[in-house]
Amino acid sequence: MSHRFHRILLSAFFVAATGFLAGAAAGLAAEPLRVGMELAYPPFEMTDPQGRPTGVSVRLAEALAAHLGRDLVVENIAFDGLIPALKTRKIDCIISSMTATPERARSIAFSQPYLKTGLALLVGAKSPVQSSADLDVPGRVIAVKKGTTGHQYAAANIKRARVLVLDKENAAVLEVTQGKADAFIYDSLSVFRNHARQRDTTRALLEPFREETWAIGLRLGDDELRRQVDGFLESFRQAGGFERLGEEFLPEEKRAFKERGIPFYF
Amino acid sequence: MPRWLAHLVVVVAFAALVALAFSRVDYTWNWAGVWEYRQKFLQGWLTTVALSLAALVVSTLVGVIAALCLQSRNVLAEATGRVYVELIRGTPLLVQLLIGFYVIASAVGLENRFVVGVLVLSLFSGAYMAEIFRGGLAAIPKTQRDAARAIGLTPWQTLRLVILPQAVRLVLPPVAGQLVSLIKDSSLLSVIAISEFTLNAQEVNSFTYSTLESYLPLAAGYLLLTLPLSALSRWLEARFRYEA
Amino acid sequence: MKLEARDIVQRFDTATVLDRLTLCTGDIQSLVLVGPSGGGKSTLLRILAGLDLPVAGTVAFDGVALPRDEASLRDYRKTVGTVFQAYNLFPHLSALDNLLLPLVHVHGLTEQAARERVREPLERFQLMAHAHKRPAELSGGQKQRIAILRALVVQPRRLFLDEPTSALDPEMTGEVLEMIGELKALGTQFVLVTHEMGFAKRVADEVAFIADGVVLAHGPAAGMFEHCAEPRVRDFFARILG
Repeated sequence: MSHRFHRILLSAFFVAATGFLAGAAAGLAAEPLRVGMELAYPPFEMTDPQGRPTGVSVRLAEALAAHLGRDLVVENIAFDGLIPALKTRKIDCIISSMTATPERARSIAFSQPYLKTGLALLVGAKSPVQSSADLDVPGRVIAVKKGTTGHQYAAANIKRARVLVLDKENAAVLEVTQGKADAFIYDSLSVFRNHARQRDTTRALLEPFREETWAIGLRLGDDELRRQVDGFLESFRQAGGFERLGEEFLPEEKRAFKERGIPFYF
Repeated sequence: MPRWLAHLVVVVAFAALVALAFSRVDYTWNWAGVWEYRQKFLQGWLTTVALSLAALVVSTLVGVIAALCLQSRNVLAEATGRVYVELIRGTPLLVQLLIGFYVIASAVGLENRFVVGVLVLSLFSGAYMAEIFRGGLAAIPKTQRDAARAIGLTPWQTLRLVILPQAVRLVLPPVAGQLVSLIKDSSLLSVIAISEFTLNAQEVNSFTYSTLESYLPLAAGYLLLTLPLSALSRWLEARFRYEA
Repeated sequence: MKLEARDIVQRFDTATVLDRLTLCTGDIQSLVLVGPSGGGKSTLLRILAGLDLPVAGTVAFDGVALPRDEASLRDYRKTVGTVFQAYNLFPHLSALDNLLLPLVHVHGLTEQAARERVREPLERFQLMAHAHKRPAELSGGQKQRIAILRALVVQPRRLFLDEPTSALDPEMTGEVLEMIGELKALGTQFVLVTHEMGFAKRVADEVAFIADGVVLAHGPAAGMFEHCAEPRVRDFFARILG
C-alpha cells in the first residue's frame, strides 16, 4: 500500500470513530422521552394521512420534550394497555386524554390536570333515553369502550341494564347508530363529533353527568419527572400554548360548547 | 425415565425459567385485586365453554355437509362447497365477525349476539373441517367402494358401514386440532361484545391495572379446556389404531 | 354357466376400451380371461360382475340378461361374488366381521345364523385361527383368501376374480391359487382374470385372449395354449410361458 493511501485510510477511520463517539455521547446525554398514547382519538391522538402521529396530545408531547431538551418518541398503544406499559417502563409518561381517577391514582401518578371535560351520552335517535338517570333500566343496552372512565362508570352504576364492552370507539358508535345500543357513554367532545357525523341516527346529550379532568400519567415515585412536567404545563399555559392548540384542532367544538355553556376548557 | 416423569421435569424446568424472568422484572404483584373479580373470570369461562360446545356441534355438521358437497358430482353442489370453503378460509375471522354481525345479521333481523357469534364461528371452523373431512374421504381407496357395491350394499349402507367408520379414524387427529383452535378462536367473539373469557379478563385488567395477574389465569383457563381435548384425542387415536 | 356377451362397447372419457367385443362360451364351469395389460380384461370382468354398465351391448348368463338399471344390478350383484386385486376387506372390521357383514346386512340373516354359516368354510380353508384378526394383522395371502371366502359365503351362482394374485409375492400367490384350485374341484363356477398362465392352464375350461378391446382368440384351454392360430396370441404365450 502506498503511504498516501495509508494516510487516507487512517483519516477516514478517525472521522468515523469521532462521529460514532459523538453520536454515542449525544445519545447518552439525553435519553428520548417516550410518550404513550392511543392514536385513535381525534383530534387529540390521531395520525395524519401519511401515517405520522398528530393531534393535540402529540403537539403537547412535542412541546414537553423540547422543554426537557430530549428527543420525542411516540408509542402507539391501546388505551387499556397504557398503564401496564408505563408500569413496566416501556414508556415514560402517558399523554392520551386520560382522566385522573382515584382508582388509577393507586397505580400511577398524575400531573396537574390540563383539561376539564366530562362524561356525556351519544344516544340512538329512537331510544327513549333522555339523561343518565335513564340508563340503568332493565332492557336497555349501554355501550362503553373498554378501559375508559365510561366503562368504569358503567361497571359501578349500571346493574340492571346490559353493558356492551367494545374494543374501539367506532364499534360502540356503530352499535348506537344501528339501534343495537341505547347509548354510548363517552367524553362530551367525542360525543359531539360523532353526532355531527351521524345526525340522523343519533342524539347528543352533551351536558356532562360526571365531570372529569385529564392529566399526564407518570410512574409512581418518578417525582423528578413529575416536577418537570408540572413546571412545563404551567409555563405552556402562561405562554398561551393551549389557546393555540384549541384554535388549531378544536375551533368549532370550542365555539359550540361555549354557546351551550358546556364545560370544555384547558 | 418414565414418560410422565419426563413431562413433569420439562414443565417444572419451564416454570422455573418463567419464575426467574419474573423475579428480575420490577413488577409489583397484585393478586388480591384480581381475586375480587373471580366471578367475572368464572362467568367468562363458562360463556367460552358454551360458545365452544355449540360451535363444535354446528361446525362439524357444516363441515360434513360441505365435504359431501365438495365430493358431489352435482355441479351446483360442488360449486357451492368450493366457493364457501375458499371464501371463508381466505378471509380473517375478525372480518367475518364484523360483516356477519353488523351487516348480514342486521339485514336479516337476527339480533342475538350469542347466536350470531356461534354461527359465524361455526361457519369459519366448518370450512376447515370440510377440507379435513374431504381429505379423509379421499384417502379411502376406491376399491373399498367397489367392494361394498360388489357385496350389494346400498349407497347409504356403504356410507354408514364402510366409509364413515374409516373416515372417522383418519380425520380424528386433524379434527381434534381444529377443535382446539375453535376454543382459542372463540376469544375473537369479544369484538362484537360477547362477554366471553378473554373479554372478561381484559376488563379485570382495565379495572385493576394488573395485567399479568389478569392474563395468567386467562391462559390457565384455556389450557383447562384444550389439554383434556388433546389428551382425549390421543386416547381415541390409540384406541382405534389397529383399524384403517 | 353359459355366457353370451355381444357387441360390448365401453368408454372411459374419450377412450374406447371395449370395441364391440363378442364372447360366447359353451356351458362351462370356469372361464379365464388373459391378455396384455390395458387390453380390456378387467373392464369386461367388471361388466360381467354387474359393477359397470357398458355403453352398448348385451350380457346374458344361462340365457338370463343382465339388467341395465342400478337397482336391479344391485340385486344381481347380490347373487354373485367379486374379488379384486387388493383392498377388498374392510380394514376397520375383523376378518370374521367382514364375512358376516354381507350375510347380515344384505342377505338378512341373523347374526347367529351367519356365524353358523361361515364356520365350515373358515375351517375347511384353515382360516379359523385368523378369524378374529383385523386385516392389518393378516398377510396378503390370508387377506385375499378371506376376501374369496366373503364372496363365497353368500352362496353365489358364480365368482368373478380380477387378478387376485397380482399384488402378492410368489409364496402367497401359491396359497391363493391353491384355494381357487380347490374351488374348481368343488364345482364353483367362476370367471378369472389372471397373468398366472400355468395356473390358467390347469383350472380353465375355456380361455379368451383379449387385447385392444376385442377377443382375439377363444376356445377350450388345451387348444389355446398349445396350438393357437393367432400369431399375436402365440407370441404372447411364448413370451409368458417361456
